[in-house]
Amino acid sequence: MKALGILGCYLMPLLYLGITYFYYTVFLGTNKRLAKRSTWLLTGLIAIHLLHLGLFHFSINRMLFSSVYDFLSFLSFSIVLVYLIIELRLNNKASGFFILSFAFIVELISLIYLNPGVSPNPLLKNPGFVLHVSMTIIGYTALALSAIYALMYILQERSIKKHRFGVIFQQLPALKYLEKMSIQAVVIGIIFLGFGIIHGHVQANKVLGTFWLPDIKVIMLDALWLIYVLGYFLSKILRWYGRRMAWLSLLAFLILLVGGMVVSNISTSFHHFF
Amino acid sequence: MNSIIPIYLIGISHKTAPVAIREQVALDSTEQERVIQTLISEYALDGCMIISTCNRTEIYFSGHLTEDVQKQIRQRLNQLKNTDLFVSDEHIFVYSGERAVAHFFQVISGLDSQIIGEPQITGQVKDGYQLAHELKSTGALINKLLEFGLQTGKRIRNETFLSNGAVSVSFAGVELARKIFSDLSGKRVLLIGAGETAELAALHFLDKGVSKVHIANRTLSKAEALAEKFRGSAHALEELPQLLQICDIVISATSSSDYLVTREMMKKIGYERRSQPIILIDLAIPRDIEPSVQKIENVYLYNLDALQEIVRLNLKKREKEIPTALEIVDEMVSEYESWCKVHSLGSFIEQLTHYFDTLRQNELARLNSRLPEEGLEEVEYLTQSILNKILHRHISFLKQSTLNSGDHTRGMEMIRKIYGMDGG
Repeated sequence: MKALGILGCYLMPLLYLGITYFYYTVFLGTNKRLAKRSTWLLTGLIAIHLLHLGLFHFSINRMLFSSVYDFLSFLSFSIVLVYLIIELRLNNKASGFFILSFAFIVELISLIYLNPGVSPNPLLKNPGFVLHVSMTIIGYTALALSAIYALMYILQERSIKKHRFGVIFQQLPALKYLEKMSIQAVVIGIIFLGFGIIHGHVQANKVLGTFWLPDIKVIMLDALWLIYVLGYFLSKILRWYGRRMAWLSLLAFLILLVGGMVVSNISTSFHHFF
Repeated sequence: MNSIIPIYLIGISHKTAPVAIREQVALDSTEQERVIQTLISEYALDGCMIISTCNRTEIYFSGHLTEDVQKQIRQRLNQLKNTDLFVSDEHIFVYSGERAVAHFFQVISGLDSQIIGEPQITGQVKDGYQLAHELKSTGALINKLLEFGLQTGKRIRNETFLSNGAVSVSFAGVELARKIFSDLSGKRVLLIGAGETAELAALHFLDKGVSKVHIANRTLSKAEALAEKFRGSAHALEELPQLLQICDIVISATSSSDYLVTREMMKKIGYERRSQPIILIDLAIPRDIEPSVQKIENVYLYNLDALQEIVRLNLKKREKEIPTALEIVDEMVSEYESWCKVHSLGSFIEQLTHYFDTLRQNELARLNSRLPEEGLEEVEYLTQSILNKILHRHISFLKQSTLNSGDHTRGMEMIRKIYGMDGG
């Protein structure tokens, strides 16, 4: 059972790669018949991934989010899930290739951290922690999607401006649509990350006796969340649209990503579970 | 000759003849009526339908026709149209069976059109069918041919990109605007110039639901005339700066030798527009819009070259879809063929039943005077019973041959020969 669970961990990136390639053909617009089947394949991938996560954790007798692998694998799962909801809602598959590529990379990186034998931090046995992490991951996912939509906006805007009417121009959605999606994703990200952060502080009070710890990781995440909130409202007040807003969204996510990696690797933090 | 698909086509198109030849055989609706009625009555055709557009004249027939009859029909068409083109093979093509059906499916789905994938042809085919239907000259085979043809067109549109993308310069502007705004409803269009080019482009935008059209022209009366047509508003050219602030799409097509929209003008209005994107389509030669406005943020400028490039790429993309579309056509021809098989079996069984019943009735009539009246009913019952048993054997034989080889035509031919039944 355990061996089967571990085999599943190695098979998941292959499945992600397959579906990403499928969406690549959809993006190229070479086969309309295949494009019709993509949503079903994506739904299948989500179901398989969910099944895998359940079976794997059952086989190693551990809770979800007890390792970096869990965190990253769930992140790629939530990216695909959020994307599927957007695809069904807006009936546009052109962004799928970009988003699935990102999900595939995350799923592939998760393998580096696969270590089913290691004992988890005792804090991670608290069920409230699962809610805190789920909220935070969904928040991260939404912000990541916002950055991907922003990147697509920049690429599409460049094609339109430079009169390059190739695959990017033909397959990517309209600028207004991409802008709308990017902003919507930011709002979702702010809400979920906000809940995740608040829930984390509440949990900290329960477990460690204080709402707020002067911890670099907590400080950075709280600060970045505030930057996102301020950026969002400032853009509304100053009427920042289009390319400017896309760069802002992309830059904010890069800070979040790079800052998170730096803090995780060089700092000592109580918030270091793995 | 008894083909599985008894459909025939005599036609001429842009692929086989220049317009000077095509116009000699073009048929208006009155001529179409005359041709259909003449051919149906003189050659006992099951059905006849004509498609006559600027690019093609095609006459479809249904029924089992010998080669002699086909030749006679071509000669008769010559007489009716007072030409000798219908008997010449230089420009005219004659197809039968699967090839005729495949051609019809290609025509109705826009595969045979000058601009591949154009949708108007479907309506033109429907018009031709409607006229034939009103004359009660379509018949079951042509009715089904149209039904399968429309299904083919629908499948090609859904499963390929054959009908996607703008293929005219004026529509390419709409495609560009939709790549920026996505939805054009509620957008304002500004036409600079009141000529035909601007008007045609504006029509496409109106079709996509833009909320208002403003027309600015040097001669105000011309602007007013066009504004009335579009229920828009007319303005003098001096009002351009104010109009550029409120409009989202600008189409310029004047004969002005100077730039009417300058970079300086666009920079000034940029602040007022609060970063809202604006698309400028310059259809004029010499150009009306200063090219450097493109450098301003949220300003998207296109000239004729850019629009023509979009058209070229879309046409290329459509061409790439032809093999997939032809696969669909082949599949649909096979489906039509299957339907024809079932249909011909049904009609043949009807003919056979009628043939035997006529024989029985004739024999009964001949014996009528020699039989006692009280026994007539029993004889009638007896002969009917024998007839049903014989028919059952024949029908079983035909159904079995369909199951075994998928083809019952040889069995039908054999039965026809045995009983000396006429083909049909």
